[in-house]
Amino acid sequence: MTASDVRDWDPGDGRLSTPSTTRPSAWSADVRRPTAALPPLAPDRGQTTPDWLEVVEHFREGLVVCDADGVVRHVSPVAERLLPEVTSGELLSAAGVHGLSEGVPGSFTHRGRRLTARQVPLSGDRCCWYVEDVTDSVSRADALLAERARSAFLAVVGDKLGNPLHPDRAAAAVVRLAVPTLAEVAVLVIAPRAGRARWWRASRTDDEVPTVDSGVLAGGELPTAIADGLTGAEPHAVDWLVEQAVDAGWLPGLAGTESAARVVPLPGRDAPVGVLLVARRATRWYDEDDVELVRAFAARAGAALTTALLYRDQAEVADTLQASLLPVEPVEAVGVQWGTAYRPAQAGLRIGGDFYGSHRLTDGGSVFFLGDVSGKGVEAAVFTGQLRQCLQALHRLESNPARLLRLLNDALLETTQAHGQGRFATIVLGVARPERDGGLTLTMAGGGHLPPLVLRASGEVETVELRGMLIGVVPDPRVGEVTVRLAPGETCLLYSDGVTEARGGRRGDEQFGPERLVTALTGCQRMPAPALAERVEQITCDWLAQGDHDDIAVLALRAAGPSGRGARHLHSVPAGIDQTEETDA
Amino acid sequence: MTAATATTDLGEAYSGYLDHLADADEYAATDLAIGLLDAGVPAERVLLDLVAPAQAEVGERWARNEWSVAQEHAATHISEQVVAAVSAHVKARPTGGRVVVACMDGEWHALPPRLVAEVLRLRGWQVTFLGASVPAAHLVSYLHRYDAHAVALACALPMRLPYAHRMIEACRRSDVPVVVGGRGFGTDGRWARRLGVAWAPDAPSAAELITDERALRGAAPAQLAHLGDDEYASLVRRRGELIDSALAELRERVPAARAYTAAQLDATVSDLGHIVDFLAAAVYVDDPTLFTEFVEWLSGILGSRGVPTGAVVLPLEHYAAALRDFPRAARALALGCAALPATAR
Repeated sequence: MTASDVRDWDPGDGRLSTPSTTRPSAWSADVRRPTAALPPLAPDRGQTTPDWLEVVEHFREGLVVCDADGVVRHVSPVAERLLPEVTSGELLSAAGVHGLSEGVPGSFTHRGRRLTARQVPLSGDRCCWYVEDVTDSVSRADALLAERARSAFLAVVGDKLGNPLHPDRAAAAVVRLAVPTLAEVAVLVIAPRAGRARWWRASRTDDEVPTVDSGVLAGGELPTAIADGLTGAEPHAVDWLVEQAVDAGWLPGLAGTESAARVVPLPGRDAPVGVLLVARRATRWYDEDDVELVRAFAARAGAALTTALLYRDQAEVADTLQASLLPVEPVEAVGVQWGTAYRPAQAGLRIGGDFYGSHRLTDGGSVFFLGDVSGKGVEAAVFTGQLRQCLQALHRLESNPARLLRLLNDALLETTQAHGQGRFATIVLGVARPERDGGLTLTMAGGGHLPPLVLRASGEVETVELRGMLIGVVPDPRVGEVTVRLAPGETCLLYSDGVTEARGGRRGDEQFGPERLVTALTGCQRMPAPALAERVEQITCDWLAQGDHDDIAVLALRAAGPSGRGARHLHSVPAGIDQTEETDA
Repeated sequence: MTAATATTDLGEAYSGYLDHLADADEYAATDLAIGLLDAGVPAERVLLDLVAPAQAEVGERWARNEWSVAQEHAATHISEQVVAAVSAHVKARPTGGRVVVACMDGEWHALPPRLVAEVLRLRGWQVTFLGASVPAAHLVSYLHRYDAHAVALACALPMRLPYAHRMIEACRRSDVPVVVGGRGFGTDGRWARRLGVAWAPDAPSAAELITDERALRGAAPAQLAHLGDDEYASLVRRRGELIDSALAELRERVPAARAYTAAQLDATVSDLGHIVDFLAAAVYVDDPTLFTEFVEWLSGILGSRGVPTGAVVLPLEHYAAALRDFPRAARALALGCAALPATAR
């Protein structure tokens, strides 16, 4: 054997045999460059030939040299230690070492060690087996991979549980995430509320998605281990834990004797928010690393559940308050078909500074109104609530729109002065009275709001001349007044500036404007009021093209005809005047 | 009553129902539907074999320019009233969990998801219908507050797909499974697969899918690696500029365009914007057929309104020139041009 023989051989130190799998560029950069710098190997030739055998004996790889018949001719000391069965002078196959079968390089476990072996042909049909003990590096790699898997698992858990969730949803997500990484069956028991403890369970099924079910237990029926866990203790006696869980019927498909289980509390605000029971076949015992992982998981799950419960409690309050501030749909009234649309600026909030509504009058007419208060968001919504309550009370005393508006102004002025708020509102307030022919007479008072539009039976759109001053600012405001007559099928439309001041178009900065609104409504005389209101909302939102917007409110009232079910009756009364607009327009 | 008579009744009822829609006669349409229920026709059939095909026909009539937008809206409103009346007439007892049904943000075709909602209700689910164009923030806060077994989202226009995807992701973050439906995901649901979400072709399959939580959660992951090339984001950024330059070229080459009324100008700008939006959506799901289908549809719509197909070619060629550096958009535009009738090119 000469230097040129080994020049292209793998030196057997384990570094060169698998370089390209991890850092190919580093390999070429680190090794090729110094090689070029070294003197050529040829000058060695003249020097004393080293004792190759002795050199080779000190390789980390053990050597087994076989002759052409497969008889072992040489075993290096390292190989002797790793493969004591292999004896010089006997057939290698007789040694019965699994990993040393012909032509199959690879790694195998032998006498508790992890070995790799590769076979290299030598001259004269001989061959040499290079055998290396890689137990340490493999276990280091395994530990690293396991750590990586744990980090990845916790990252997924953090991702899935990071958003505020509904408590039930969070509980289901906790057990679902625990399977299969932590357990084959995972049970979450939430701390009892009013003596009842809810539980969720996920069980491993044949495919990736675990099945989740849930139920309720009375507080007294909880297994001792669970009850202990809820006080913050982490039980360690594992046998009776499994028995209890099996007794409770919680571990489908797992027999008590062959299972391993753990219970960990889920940390909450003060006491644990719940307890997680994880169980799997005893073939995968819970070692110290596993238990650490379960605890880390439980910490995240506990935080998610605590957030969810906190969110639920606060959302309940917010919801109740919001519901009281939402516009109330107009009350049914003879001869009027109402249509509304409402889209607050902050979608998540559902309330805003626009408002509308109606009240029935004792004489058969209806008070109706639509307006907009200064400001946005919650504060504006609270002010609309005050305003609507004022109107609710005042319409019982006064049914003339202009006088009612002045009363409202005085009431608001008093409130805003008392609270030092300096808030004001614009509003159109009207009274609709049905006529005998199925039409409507609208008397409207204006408080600085955008003028109403009237959609005539001809399909034309008229702008009603209605002005006036803001309300809630001065003691005796100028109030505009107008009377409009709607023939059956004609519609009056009130809207807020969120419609006409919507910014969109080519560049997203052009106002929608009243002209476009009039164009969009022209020819829509056959539309029912709800469809008309929705159309205004839709064209406004299309114009906005997903951009930000102010509160949008629309109130449409259509003269429905002499009775609520006008159209059909009119078919059977050919002499009727009113149906022509319904059917022949 | 036998099934056979029920079928014939529905066939006759269908043309009557369409007449009532044409007359905007809400009460006659409602009476007809309730009459069918009283005669023993199952509510689900009234909804899916009467109201649904009638609504499709309404859309066709609008597309053929036989009906105005106003007529279409009126007819849709009446069908919604009919669905409400059918729902009130058949009081289904809820036995299942809560299912939330909503239209994607910016999506106004509320009747198809309403029908899905009613079919689910008839099958025992406790259904909340949130209506048209539901903002993602609203849907998410609803889910946080009330939870749901599943969310069904509808999208009728493929141009809304990028928004649809955001909304689907928002639901996912709330850990609520999503099923989607509507033409916006392609007739075979291929763009739903691209977005990695469960898809149902019709109301009954949506109902079946919702009962199978594992199928709902088992959708293959989204295949959107192509978004790394930034073409979609750049298209969205350049939207205004593209429309402006296309309009300028139109005015230069078509003298009549200089005399457009404000309303005509708005309509043109809106059409030019739709072309960009559909192109962006095609780039988003990386499927030029989304764009070619739109171009064919648009030339049909414009054709029925007396606008020559040539009017579509000009902006397509303009955009193609402006987007030379966008290989995926350019390919969609080239295929879009090729999809137009030869006479137009």
